[in-house]
Amino acid sequence: MKKRKMFIRMITASLMRRRSRMIVALLSIAIGATILSGLVSIYYDVPRQMGAQFRNYGANMIFTGEDGSLGLDEVIAGEKKIDPAELVGAAPYRYENVRINDIPVVAAGTDPQGVQKTSPYWRVEGSWFSGGGELLVGASVAESFRIKSGDVIDVSFTPAAQEDESGEEEFVMDNFKTFTVMGILQTGGSEENYIYMSLDDLRELTGTEGSIDVAELSVSAGQEELSAYIDAINSGVKGVHASLVKRVTASEATVLTKLQALVLLVTIVVLALTMICVATTMTAVVAERRKEIGLRKAIGASDKSIIQEFMGESMLLGLLGGALGSVLGYVFAQQVSINVFSSSISFRPVLVPVTVIASIAVTGISSLMPIRSATDVDPAMVLKGE
Amino acid sequence: MFFRMIRGTLFRQWKKMLMIAFTIALGASLASAMLSVMLDVGDKVNQELKTYGANITVVPKENSVLSELYEVEDGGVSGAYLREDELGKIKTIFWAFNIVDFAPFVNVDCTLEDGTEVQCVGSWFDHHMDLPTGETLDAGVVSLRSWWELEEGQWLDEQLLSDSADAAMVGKDLAQKLDLKPGDTLRVSGPAADRELRVAGIYDAGGTEDMQIYLQLDTAQSLADLEGCVDRIEVSALTTPENELSERAAKDPSSLTVAQMETWTCTAYASSICYQIQQVITDSVAAPVRQVADSEGAILSKTQLLMILITILSLIGAALGICNLVTASVMERAQEIGLMKALGAQNLSIALLVLCEIAITAVFGGVGGFFAGFGFAQLIGHTVFGSAIEMRPMVVPIVAVLVVIVTLIGSIPAIKMLLGLRPTEVLHGR
Repeated sequence: MKKRKMFIRMITASLMRRRSRMIVALLSIAIGATILSGLVSIYYDVPRQMGAQFRNYGANMIFTGEDGSLGLDEVIAGEKKIDPAELVGAAPYRYENVRINDIPVVAAGTDPQGVQKTSPYWRVEGSWFSGGGELLVGASVAESFRIKSGDVIDVSFTPAAQEDESGEEEFVMDNFKTFTVMGILQTGGSEENYIYMSLDDLRELTGTEGSIDVAELSVSAGQEELSAYIDAINSGVKGVHASLVKRVTASEATVLTKLQALVLLVTIVVLALTMICVATTMTAVVAERRKEIGLRKAIGASDKSIIQEFMGESMLLGLLGGALGSVLGYVFAQQVSINVFSSSISFRPVLVPVTVIASIAVTGISSLMPIRSATDVDPAMVLKGE
Repeated sequence: MFFRMIRGTLFRQWKKMLMIAFTIALGASLASAMLSVMLDVGDKVNQELKTYGANITVVPKENSVLSELYEVEDGGVSGAYLREDELGKIKTIFWAFNIVDFAPFVNVDCTLEDGTEVQCVGSWFDHHMDLPTGETLDAGVVSLRSWWELEEGQWLDEQLLSDSADAAMVGKDLAQKLDLKPGDTLRVSGPAADRELRVAGIYDAGGTEDMQIYLQLDTAQSLADLEGCVDRIEVSALTTPENELSERAAKDPSSLTVAQMETWTCTAYASSICYQIQQVITDSVAAPVRQVADSEGAILSKTQLLMILITILSLIGAALGICNLVTASVMERAQEIGLMKALGAQNLSIALLVLCEIAITAVFGGVGGFFAGFGFAQLIGHTVFGSAIEMRPMVVPIVAVLVVIVTLIGSIPAIKMLLGLRPTEVLHGR
């Protein structure tokens, strides 16, 4: 009991009295620990954060009807199979042939909020449409009809002719609806040939309930998870056929693997070099105390007790530095995440003990060597100064 | 005397000096490795993002509207189609090196024997081109659509002239529907001619292309009597993320001042590459594919920013590590300095001596570290991207300045302390 008290007193006294030297050592351990915990949290967070960036490429899953028609309820049932945290957005599309100035154009009915999430690359000049007679016009359509945003145009739809009792086709009047053009859509793709309106507006224009042709979903998940969702939806939801957009998923997998490997390698290289840096600092700090070790040996201390004391001291430093470093590392990772991805990082409690244990191990191992070499030497030689 | 003392320290205390040099080398290698990787990561990731396919499409300026509406005499070839013989010009623009891949497409609506309507697409597969500049280029669908998977058979080989003219690649869904296998023949009739085609392979594109037939460009052209005509060109180019200037320029290049115009044309924005393509291809409109171009920009800038922040952290880590060790090792020499002072050395000469020793060590450590760091960068480049990281001259001065500043700052507090020492106290042992 008494011995332990003395041990603790010696350690704390040595830390307190040689304050400036110890602060230097502590600082270097803390930096090492900061880099360790910071980089490891970034490494674990990169796939999630980068995955979210890759959703810029748009939908990676599509739903089509098994027999060609798809109801809104079926789409929602399919969406339910996907973890809401991973579902970035979903947009149903219904295509109909309509006319502007009697010239046929394809109109798509969709959900504007959903589209903004599934197709973030759409560039709209003017503003987005919402329900209530608002229209988004593709750039090619706008060009050929000379439409500007703010224009008010009539869109007509010819309902399917119905046969009356005598078998002759009944003449049906075209349905008209007036729309305000909210914006012009530029994508550089085929979307520029369509006009977009809300599902309700399209229903009102056509006068029929109609069915969804295709639903686009953007899901932030890995390749295996996506395949699992596809299987679950295809077998579990009636009337929905889910498939992956290969161009997006396959390319994402290639690029994301590369990026993750990059961060992993960088982390390893930086960590290895930083740990060696910490180790050399600790070696230097212990090595300059050869005299003290010699003196203690001269007055009768055993090698074991000296090693114990010095190791206790450096491990305490490792503990403090590791604790400080894990806090600073979290702060750093958080800053990186906010600056780069503008979202916060989740705190990983596992990293705290890992960081502390790693810094204790590094300081312990790096001070063991110089202590050993100091205790091996004859005290008289050490004290004499060579 | 001065040099003799320095030499003495370097040789007699070589163990200590080696340790300082080692730490400086570690710091310098960390700094140079991270800087090299950071500066090159943009290019490397950009290359990887090419797997998403073309980011620029080129189409004729006047869609066939003109010839259809007014039945222009000369068949409407000019204006409605792009010219095949101009394709090579794409590789002659200012940004030729940024153009990784491109392929022409011509769509022909055909009918099969059983009356099914299919779309035949003529394109390049692994087209080999000798450019007017003397360079050669291999381009085509195989590399442009890297996500396509070959289900059965093999890719159409354009180099083997004997069998490529009547060979066809069939989409997975169409092959399933018609029960086609590689080696089978099918007869397609186009608007101008009929042709017997041999199925070379079946591909899985995971999209609408699965219902199409891909042919060699001239085979498809002969089906519709469109010799020398191309519907669309897809270009895959390395680009710089768009910003406010490039967006303004894309809308109206004439709205820029001369200086802005120069910046714009001399930066590889998708819009400036488009502008230059339009100048070399007659009557064409080139537009960036927003889905690919925008996402590339976002991912590229995020990755670069991430690497910059990691680099800054490791630079700070390296700097503090060097600082610490230099301080520790200089402070250690209190007794030696005390003795020198007792013998009458002046503060200035002591400071100079210590600084000189450290500087020499730093030079060795720094140079060694720089090369080690470059090695680390190559390791990262080869493992991750399978290609070497380019050596940037600007890394050398940055690392050099960093090492000098850091070692100086590291020695200042220690030297200050040494100068404040009282010789009697030190020599007496505290």
